[in-house]
Amino acid sequence: MSGAGFENLKTLIVEDNAHMRSLLRALLNSAGIKDIADAPNGVAAIHMLRERKSDLVLTDMAMQPMDGIEFTRHVRTSDASPNPFVPIIMITGHTEKHRVEAARDAGVTELLAKPITAANLFSRIAEIVERPRAFVRSDNYFGPDRRRHQPEDYAGPWRRSGDFQDVSVQ
Amino acid sequence: MTEKSARIIPPGSYPQMLSRADAARAMRTLRAPETAARAALVMENSRPALRAAVLALVASMEQAGADMARVHETVREIRGMAETAGLASTGRIAEVLCRYMDDMARIGHPPDQTITALHVSAIARAARAEKDDARMGERVAAELAALVSRKLTEARGGPGAQP
Repeated sequence: MSGAGFENLKTLIVEDNAHMRSLLRALLNSAGIKDIADAPNGVAAIHMLRERKSDLVLTDMAMQPMDGIEFTRHVRTSDASPNPFVPIIMITGHTEKHRVEAARDAGVTELLAKPITAANLFSRIAEIVERPRAFVRSDNYFGPDRRRHQPEDYAGPWRRSGDFQDVSVQ
Repeated sequence: MTEKSARIIPPGSYPQMLSRADAARAMRTLRAPETAARAALVMENSRPALRAAVLALVASMEQAGADMARVHETVREIRGMAETAGLASTGRIAEVLCRYMDDMARIGHPPDQTITALHVSAIARAARAEKDDARMGERVAAELAALVSRKLTEARGGPGAQP
């Protein structure tokens, strides 16, 4: 049963630190995820995404010349993006509130705080598999719904005045 | 579409990471004890290389001297890798220094060089210790955090601030 379920999954790791890249690759391998490409920064990752289909992206936040937030924004909103819906797990040691909000607003699917543990990495992947998020397209945002927990029978109160009447389901 | 309007795209109407059949099998794999055992071995085997990388970063941070931007960038890298490398004490002290430097940047003050040097020295000692002494590291981190807290209060001009 080793690796069952992940035979067709293509993953991209975007990380500037070779040691962390290697650790992530080995951890994914241990779950049977074998089809893995990697890139040292956002610019290289964009090229990689155009050349090779990816079903899951793991990206670091702090990189040069393009960081994980800018990369995520590009994947979500660029006309040239091959898959704006691809799940993106952002890995970061920067857990200050403003950075977490910036990552969320760029459209990351899951955030994984360092130090990396196998359990935390696998739980983020499991979350994507088990509870895929709806996407939201508005004038100033495209990405996974940032309001993660919304019961189906929730009747308000709504956070924004136009919340209910302006939302349409595709 | 107005500023407040939004279109919801439900999960069923865009391509998913895995097919339904693969997803069920993948979840069993992720939860399997043998997967956890293999991953634990990966973590264990990765530690020597990660630890060497942290030590290289520590040396680079020591060489940075008064270059606070370089210290800040390097200590962030150390914070991100140290605990994964099994250097819990190093990670905790690096976390204190990161927060201090982040907070000082936020309030528009340069970090105090003596405070920074004290942390750099503590990080270096913790990283080079033969064995990670978590209790000692905890104590050092707590003392440095208290010092940082006082210095931040001073920098903000709060109660107890030096004239």
